[in-house]
Amino acid sequence: MSEENVIVLDHLTKDYGDERGIFDVSFSVPKGSVFGYCGTNGSGKTTTIRHMMGFLKPDQGHCTLFGLDSWKNSEEIKKKAGYIPGEIAFPDLDSGTDFLKLQADMLGIKDMSRAEYLIKKLQLDPTARMKLMSKGMKQKTAIVEAFMGDPELLILDEPTTGLDPLMRDAFLSIVEESKAKGHTVFMSSHIFSEMEATCDYVGFIHEGHLLKVLDMREITDRTLTDYNVAFQDLKNYDLFMANHASGPFQILHGDKEHLIILVETPNERIKELFGELASYHIRYFSEKKFSLEQCFDDLLEEKE
Amino acid sequence: MEEEAIIDVEHLTKDYGHGRGVFDVTIHVHKGECFGYLGPNGAGKSTTIRHIMGFSKPQKGSIKVFGIESFGHTDEILGKVGYLPGEVALPSGLTGWEFLHMMQGLRGPANDAMLKRLLETFELDPSGSTKRMSLGVKRKLAVVAAFMNDPEVLVLDEPTSGLDPLMQRRFIDFVLEEKARGKTILISSHIFSEVDAMCDTITIIKDGIHVSTIKASDFKNSDSKRFLVSFTTTAEKERFIRENQNYKTTSKTPTDLELDFPKASSSEVISTLAHYDFTKFNEIQFSLESYFMTFYKENKAFGGLEGIKGGATHE
Repeated sequence: MSEENVIVLDHLTKDYGDERGIFDVSFSVPKGSVFGYCGTNGSGKTTTIRHMMGFLKPDQGHCTLFGLDSWKNSEEIKKKAGYIPGEIAFPDLDSGTDFLKLQADMLGIKDMSRAEYLIKKLQLDPTARMKLMSKGMKQKTAIVEAFMGDPELLILDEPTTGLDPLMRDAFLSIVEESKAKGHTVFMSSHIFSEMEATCDYVGFIHEGHLLKVLDMREITDRTLTDYNVAFQDLKNYDLFMANHASGPFQILHGDKEHLIILVETPNERIKELFGELASYHIRYFSEKKFSLEQCFDDLLEEKE
Repeated sequence: MEEEAIIDVEHLTKDYGHGRGVFDVTIHVHKGECFGYLGPNGAGKSTTIRHIMGFSKPQKGSIKVFGIESFGHTDEILGKVGYLPGEVALPSGLTGWEFLHMMQGLRGPANDAMLKRLLETFELDPSGSTKRMSLGVKRKLAVVAAFMNDPEVLVLDEPTSGLDPLMQRRFIDFVLEEKARGKTILISSHIFSEVDAMCDTITIIKDGIHVSTIKASDFKNSDSKRFLVSFTTTAEKERFIRENQNYKTTSKTPTDLELDFPKASSSEVISTLAHYDFTKFNEIQFSLESYFMTFYKENKAFGGLEGIKGGATHE
């Protein structure tokens, strides 16, 4: 069975009143994939994640991890899934090392070599007293804690908050390593570039409702390319518009004031487009990337 | 007349031992300027900021805001400077409103119009308990608290960390409006795109040591373009290189070629390329990230700006 789903949310609803909460959220995360969860502040990302971990009881619907109901099996879930909470509250121990050892004991982890590896990779100094750790250090400690048992499932609530770009890269490569082993990763994030770099799927949630689950192949395997073309003068602009009102190239947008058009072409006809453009005077052109950010904007706009 | 710095950090040193701390850091933030303070985790950004606010006593050097020595005058500084801490610890048991009113008391005369504008801009409803607020909503509350008394100076430690993409953009627009009103703003951040959008001057520190100060105009280089062209065959790519030696090109794969050209040559590039067989033509956008990462990377000898100043780095 190749399409085994490690996480399944089935009509999950938690109604806090005043339209707060999450409503009828359903999606599933196949084994071995990385699922990004994206949405505005207060849209219900953390609430969803807390249901997955069995901290909250759904009003309706349910959530299963490895086929186990999260709420009914929360103890087992906590052992099976590496978890980073959105807000980290550590006990005030003398050092990060003490904390990690304590957690390892609780989780029955004997081999600390993975922890050592992660500590090095994240350049974490775990000897510092927990209370005196900076935000970045706490975040790194939480990452080590979640990954040190090499769990088959990781549930991460904004894992890169407060990390600098170098460490964000280190974190992403840790995620890649887990994925390469066939482990499943669910992470919420506000940073499109990191989701583009790692995710196979991205779910968008807004005001408690799941708007869409995007298969990243829609972006990476896109067969169309969009270009902004700025013409030298109105004559060139008008001429191009008149000659290409129909045909293989679709003019998505025309800005007569600035003499700029947005034209979409199938990838196999880019050369043809250039052949056409060669007979016009052009000030500049640029590619308009079809990105996750674009997708997010489009979804929110549709919603308005 | 030499314009005096509003925030004046001179040779600040605070040695926490084990190589931690800040060492001989000097920064000047002038009136009406948006100053970006960058560096990897643990570089000393928050330590510097806490000294500016007067929470920590410097071992060496001096820190003045509006000419007032920071340490020993925290109350005065807090009354004049809108401060957003890197980690927001809200007192428990308060509603958002109670928190804002409490902070208003600490920060000089209230400005209801400003508060209203902030709540609208950041779509914040402060009526609920702060305990129930998500991390992002708490950050919004902290942003509102920093700006609500309309202070002349703002010191913001990673203000957009945890804000959603929509709010990050709102925040940038808001800061630009405030800058236009003459506010002096210091921002620490990890997000290069927002630094690019807001800041006039950027200082980078690493391991507590000042690495570089850059003017925004130094790295904004919008006159050149870079595209990746995928030719149908290696031979076709080679033919292009041979026949167009006036272009700056870099081979990436047997068939892929990176092509740099000035924006003004766009028309010419299109006409030229139309004579070759290629399947893809994708822009490689200028990335500030790769530009700054040069400074961040480990064990790198920094000889000032010279190594990378020549051109914008692309990724």
